[in-house]
Amino acid sequence: MRLKVRRNAGDGYGPYWEDFDIEVKKGMTVLDALFLIRHRQDDSLSFRYSCRGAVCGSCAMTINGRPRLACRTQISLLQEDDKLPPLVPISVQRGPFDPRVEVLIEPLPNMPVLKDLIVDQTEFFRKYRSLQPWLLQRYPELERENIMSKETETELDRYATCILCAACYGACPVNSENEEYLGPAALAKLYRFRIDPRDSLGGERLDQAPGPSGWLGCRFHTNCFKVCPKAIPPNLAIGKARQEMKGREGRA
Amino acid sequence: MVHIAPDDVMAHDVAIVGGGLTGLRAALLCAEKGRSVAVISKVHPLRSHSVAAQGGVNASLNNATQAGKDSWQSHAFDTVKGADYLADQEAVDILCGDAPRAVLEMEHMGAVFSRNEEGRIAQRPFGGAGFPRTCYAADHTGHTLLHTLYEQCMSHDIDFFEEHFVTALSIENGRCAGLCAFDLASGEMRGFEAGAVLLATGGYGRIYCHSTNAYINTGDGAYLALTAGAALKDMEFVQFHPTTLFGTNILISEAARGEGGVLLNAKGERFMQRYAAKAMELAPRDIVARAIWKEVQEGNAHEGGYVDLDLTHLGEERILERLPGIRQISIDFAGVDPVDEMVPVQPGQHYSMGGIDASNDCRTSIPGLLAAGEASCISVHGANRLGGNSLLETIVFGKVAGQTMVGMTKEHMVHDPARLKDLMRREADSIGHLTDVSRDRTVAELRRELKKLMFHHFGIFRDKGTMKLGQLRVHALRHELGKAGIDDIGKSYNQAVIEALELRSMLPVAEAVAISALAREESRGSHYRTDFPQRNDQDFLKHSMVTMKDGALALTYAPVRLGRYEVRERVY
Ligand SMILES: Cc1cc2nc3c(=O)[nH]c(=O)nc-3n(C[C@H](O)[C@H](O)[C@H](O)COP(=O)(O)OP(=O)(O)OC[C@H]3O[C@@H](n4cnc5c(N)ncnc54)[C@H](O)[C@@H]3O)c2cc1C
Ligand code: SF4
Ligand code: FES
Repeated sequence: MRLKVRRNAGDGYGPYWEDFDIEVKKGMTVLDALFLIRHRQDDSLSFRYSCRGAVCGSCAMTINGRPRLACRTQISLLQEDDKLPPLVPISVQRGPFDPRVEVLIEPLPNMPVLKDLIVDQTEFFRKYRSLQPWLLQRYPELERENIMSKETETELDRYATCILCAACYGACPVNSENEEYLGPAALAKLYRFRIDPRDSLGGERLDQAPGPSGWLGCRFHTNCFKVCPKAIPPNLAIGKARQEMKGREGRA
Repeated sequence: MVHIAPDDVMAHDVAIVGGGLTGLRAALLCAEKGRSVAVISKVHPLRSHSVAAQGGVNASLNNATQAGKDSWQSHAFDTVKGADYLADQEAVDILCGDAPRAVLEMEHMGAVFSRNEEGRIAQRPFGGAGFPRTCYAADHTGHTLLHTLYEQCMSHDIDFFEEHFVTALSIENGRCAGLCAFDLASGEMRGFEAGAVLLATGGYGRIYCHSTNAYINTGDGAYLALTAGAALKDMEFVQFHPTTLFGTNILISEAARGEGGVLLNAKGERFMQRYAAKAMELAPRDIVARAIWKEVQEGNAHEGGYVDLDLTHLGEERILERLPGIRQISIDFAGVDPVDEMVPVQPGQHYSMGGIDASNDCRTSIPGLLAAGEASCISVHGANRLGGNSLLETIVFGKVAGQTMVGMTKEHMVHDPARLKDLMRREADSIGHLTDVSRDRTVAELRRELKKLMFHHFGIFRDKGTMKLGQLRVHALRHELGKAGIDDIGKSYNQAVIEALELRSMLPVAEAVAISALAREESRGSHYRTDFPQRNDQDFLKHSMVTMKDGALALTYAPVRLGRYEVRERVY
């Protein structure tokens, strides 16, 4: 298999494509392959990693034109990409390639490249933090836990399980047009606090993301949901938030 | 190659190395108390190993039992027994006594725990526990705890230094006065002065191959403490988890067995019957891990060395509700769906019971230097940790460490900034030197060799001959480190440097494991000697302590602090 890696030296040299030929073993993931290259061919190849089990969110990158986790992507299964729901086109440097013999590996879009496959996530995290994504306790005086129904728990978990890998941020066409757009992950997390009965801001949470940089920016391309390794539907959260705001205006 | 910018020394009240649960819990407390805090971590805090914890966190909340039936004392007893009596009982009392408060506090901060019918935090049975006391968030408990603590930390002014690799501690007149770190993004050295330094660097699991740990768990904190003059305690106690996915060794949580999963060998026998007839699959980890390995050795396992974990009888609904992550992992990484297929599992390295020797308030023997969490050995886990007790340790002792540091502000610093600069220069030179040396061996080769060596010579079953050979080889590898260079001369994100620095940590830490294991001529908890299969309280009811002098390691012993629980035989 030939891995075509979009490289960037980080000190102004690049970007350029570099090819690495490797022998693919059964079950080998893209992350395994990158380590193989680092350890056997070129130790200057940089990429983020930690858990290798799809929970830490370090290794999101663009593989054969789709943002995804390198550790969760088996090379042999890339042949079956045509079974995945197609994405609304995004701005990746996709050259012509043959998925039977080649794997195209690029950094995530919509973020500045620092070195090879490593992107600068400062803005991604700054936008997230700007939403005060922490619980503002409604009942701090409780001695025991807050009582919560299983239904509420399930609904919260749907968004709270986000690993902040930024795959959706990279896959979102609105993010590539509008630098201010908060992005799918931050909005889904904000919605998680909106529906948390323990949070004292309640409906005011919706006012934290007004206008086109917030809820209204979304055009429901649903690339976010399609690429999310945790099957989180930010589009659904955004839709529900918009509905709720509309309802509020109606009553006012 | 590596530069030091003149203004690159910063002062904080406290410097915390590690952004996992332990580090963040300590940081939060210090920030709430108005201290200036630096959290220095080699990865973004959310990428820390803590995020991967699956099964849950123990606390005697009595949510799954009749009120008053379970108690923190009963939790403490289970912990001490599970530890094969090597735990310090006073420390265990702190851990278990504070558990309900610590877990409820996390819930108040926003953690999304699974709920029972009454809407309270759900609790499940876990190995070695007398009652169902493991609180959980499906099978992503570590994720909800770590994200919740990070959220709370974001609401304060904490200085995060992400992707900074701490390479050395600055010790002056016997006191820890700061540290220096390699900034991956810029490729420069940075200095940190602080009134107190906390090592919350996690475990050393990756000195083994077949490990469930994140790739980054290379024992850097143990190395930093050792070279600074502190002691490493009980390093021979390395937990092997019975069920890791065959192939990648990703963890298949004990929750799978807690929910009713059974283990079958290649003949379809429920072999645990022969090893722990009462507790069966929920016997403590060391016992189940040895049972599986025994089946492997006796040829009762599948080719390649694995047995089957059967969950099919739980039914789709229960698997989807309680074990969604386990199901996804099995599909993604082994291509099997536990709803209708067996999951192939084998034992793998999982947890580091040993660590930096620390007191009940997390102080090491070096003033100004603290240790907590998996990096430390206080000791609450003794010879074997119970599932659900280490997440607990992070939130309980992370807070304790924070409290200890509140009294140690930067006004307490008495030191000479020139010394820190010297240290930074020395570290920068040694990193720069990595690209100069002849490349007899690569860093990657040495790492591979070390990991294999540790698994085969200091693994689930140990004996003198095998360990002696292993120890000699590990020692030799330490000398080969000087000959292992790297090629990458780049400044930004030079991860070849990081892998070399990690190897520098791994080698002496591995040697500490080796000499402690060789000298302990008994079997206790996770440390199983085929040549000494019995526990020997007469000679070995004591902690192993390893220190370093002029590069050489020395082994001594320290007494176990016993308490109200009498030392008995451990049967399940
Ligand atoms: C797969 C898995 C599942 C688990 N499940 C459970 C469970 O269900 N219940 C339970 O109780 N326990 C569980 N454990 C154990 C538990 O997760 C850990 O013991 C615990 O999370 C350790 O937390 P910590 O904060 O001490 O360290 P970590 O979370 O490992 O954090 C270490 C931090 O130190 C930093 N660091 C390390 N070296 C350096 C350096 N040189 N310079 C700068 N920074 C550095 C890292 O970047 C990281 O931020 C599990 C462990 C594994 C492997
Ligand atoms: S929503 Fe999904 S894709 Fe987006 S950051 Fe979270 S886990 Fe990643
Ligand atoms: S390495 Fe953690 S998500 Fe891929």
